[in-house]
Amino acid sequence: MTETILSLEGVSKRYSGQTAVSGFDLAVNRGQITGFLGPNGAGKTTSLRIALGIIKPDDGKVRLFGQPPKAAVLQRVGFLPEERGIYKKMKAEDVIIFFGRMKGMSMPAARKAAREGLDRFGLGDEAKKKIKEMSKGMAQKVQIIATLAHDPEFIILDEPFSGLDPVNQKMLEEMIRDEAKRGKTILFSTHVMEHAERLCDQIVLISKGRKVFDGDVPQALSQVPRRVIIETASDHDLKPIVGALGAVEAQPAPEGLKGWTIELAAGSDAQDVLKACVEGGVRLARFEPMRAHLHDVFVELVETSNRETV
Amino acid sequence: MRAIYLMARREYLSYVATWGFWLSLLAMPFIMAVFIGISILAENAQPTRYYVVLDETGTGFEALIDEELNDGAKEEAIAALRGVAEAAGRADAIPAIEAAINAEPGLEGFPEAVNALGVPVDISAAQFRSNYVRVDPPAETIDGLRPYLLGEQTLSIDGEQHPLFAAVRFLPGGEYGITAEYWSTNRTSGGLRTSARDALRNHVRSNALADAGISEAVLGRIYAMSPGITENSPERGRESSEVNLADRLPFIVGIAFSIGLWMMIFSVTNMLLTAMIEEKGNKILETLLATARYHEILIGKLLGLAAVSATFMLVWGGIGSGGLAGLQAFAVAADLPAADILSAVFDPGLLIPAIGYFAVGYLMYGTVYLAIGSLCDTLQEAQSLMSPMILVMMVPFVIIMATIENPDSLFLQYASWVPIWTPFLMMARLQTDPALIEMIATSIGMLVTAAAIISLASYVFRQGSMGRANASSIKRLLKFGKSGNA
Repeated sequence: MTETILSLEGVSKRYSGQTAVSGFDLAVNRGQITGFLGPNGAGKTTSLRIALGIIKPDDGKVRLFGQPPKAAVLQRVGFLPEERGIYKKMKAEDVIIFFGRMKGMSMPAARKAAREGLDRFGLGDEAKKKIKEMSKGMAQKVQIIATLAHDPEFIILDEPFSGLDPVNQKMLEEMIRDEAKRGKTILFSTHVMEHAERLCDQIVLISKGRKVFDGDVPQALSQVPRRVIIETASDHDLKPIVGALGAVEAQPAPEGLKGWTIELAAGSDAQDVLKACVEGGVRLARFEPMRAHLHDVFVELVETSNRETV
Repeated sequence: MRAIYLMARREYLSYVATWGFWLSLLAMPFIMAVFIGISILAENAQPTRYYVVLDETGTGFEALIDEELNDGAKEEAIAALRGVAEAAGRADAIPAIEAAINAEPGLEGFPEAVNALGVPVDISAAQFRSNYVRVDPPAETIDGLRPYLLGEQTLSIDGEQHPLFAAVRFLPGGEYGITAEYWSTNRTSGGLRTSARDALRNHVRSNALADAGISEAVLGRIYAMSPGITENSPERGRESSEVNLADRLPFIVGIAFSIGLWMMIFSVTNMLLTAMIEEKGNKILETLLATARYHEILIGKLLGLAAVSATFMLVWGGIGSGGLAGLQAFAVAADLPAADILSAVFDPGLLIPAIGYFAVGYLMYGTVYLAIGSLCDTLQEAQSLMSPMILVMMVPFVIIMATIENPDSLFLQYASWVPIWTPFLMMARLQTDPALIEMIATSIGMLVTAAAIISLASYVFRQGSMGRANASSIKRLLKFGKSGNA
């Protein structure tokens, strides 16, 4: 049976009359990578703070490892907040040791974890360097190492990719995959869909404090229609030819060609469109089935949510 | 508890494990030592000052001024030897020391006084000898002396050229038959001027007494009379009722503790504020909050800085105690009652309340400073919120300074009932034996107020830490309060 590591049930939080999160449910299961998506100000950070017991919800129930988020249970969690910050006057190794010890590690174990973590991220030679003497990227890596030093079962990363260059983003993606392979449960918030699409087993989308989607990536992608882009060299009107397979719209095209977009209806696929065109004698200059992306899902669902709210 | 310990340890080490901390820690006693050393050097390094006397009255004022200057030197010599005698447990030798020195017009009796002391001392008569030396006048009028007084001409003394420091002229006339003029370009060193004035006053008074029929022998006896008054405590038996410096020291130490307490709390809470603003600016709090709770962070920080202040007190206390004992080796400080001072400082009756008042005062002001720090991202932002706090904290300091010689003043008594000032002001009053009921009532008031302040400050700290309140929120709140009152 799947174990639920984190559950939020009907959680609400208001600040000065403004709703940050409303009736929000979330379940993160052991061993999964869960992407927590939403536009800026959607309530992601508030939800994560509630999950960690940093702030108390006005309504609803929070369970972390089946318990309220008290200090003892937090030792099983590694948290990287959105607002990065570490003691700038401390040495890299000492920062990791400090946070490791705060999570219940002994001094020798914390020291060992610090050295291993720094080596893993290529910062072995910088162990004795003060954070203020490091680049921003290096300091962020130190904070990530500090988050993972105590080998937490559950890793929460709030916008972990922000501020990292593409090389370090790739390194962080690999690290997330490695941790997942080691059986760790990971929840990360982001508004960069590519990372979520590549990494996540489960996606939770929040907008204006409400959950608008919860499921896996294929389910998410099925939320938006698939499209086929066609350019023809003949004068055929495609509406009567492929209209039964989806919504057909004329589009601008290069000179001498006619452009069309077909939003496929449920149960239709691009092959059906191609077959209908060939049978209809249409001379195709371009036939491009468009794969849906999480980005489209995100935009579609957030805009729908906004419209519904209005 | 572990999180509190680790927070406190980190705070403590962030200060103590730096060179700057130890430099500033040791700089204070060093600066004090340099200050005292410079004062001693300046005192001992006064140049020899040559002066002349133009006595147009024929009275012999040269000798009278010499006598006045010698009396001052003899008093200093007796005080130094008395201090050594008391420190060496030879108080019985003091009358013999005084007699030996007073037997001669100058310091000729000094060797005999040292013999009477019976303890080897590193003090010589030269240390007390006046630096004013009388020479024969190179001219008989002020106009004639003017080039010497202005430095245009010098005096030849033992083959060396020296400037003339001053001229004192006595001339007939005036209300008392003789008047005196003091001529010098120096406006600050008044020792010779005072001695000349005293010589003239004594002469005029002696003449008046002689005119009234009192013989010189009787006058001599009168001047030799030096009755004293003993200060006694009715709390003691007749035999041991006399009050001495050791009895007064606890009052002085009590006031010193009170000022020290204020300075310590003021400086440590400022360190707390700076540390908090730095933490807020570095955005560390959220990371910490995923591990520890608000109260653990708050208490950890307070304990860490309390340990820093304990380090200050221990190091300064150690250096102070050692320095006090060591200072006695120097002649100028030979009469310093080091043992009495140390026993007053380490008196549990003073030390335990001082620790208690420090703890409550520190918690009260420390949490407020932490709360202010949690609301601000920069020190500049904090300054506007700090101004009222500084004013509140300055009041007890001003009261202590104003009542320093009168610790049982009614004003001080009333002010010590204000709970936020109680730690400092009751400390200053402690040696005046305030009524037990007053002690208990002010302590209860202080503790209740401290609990309320800590609770409120903790709430503000929680809001500030998560960015749900900032300096502007407080300003808005104050403005709302003002408009609400209006």
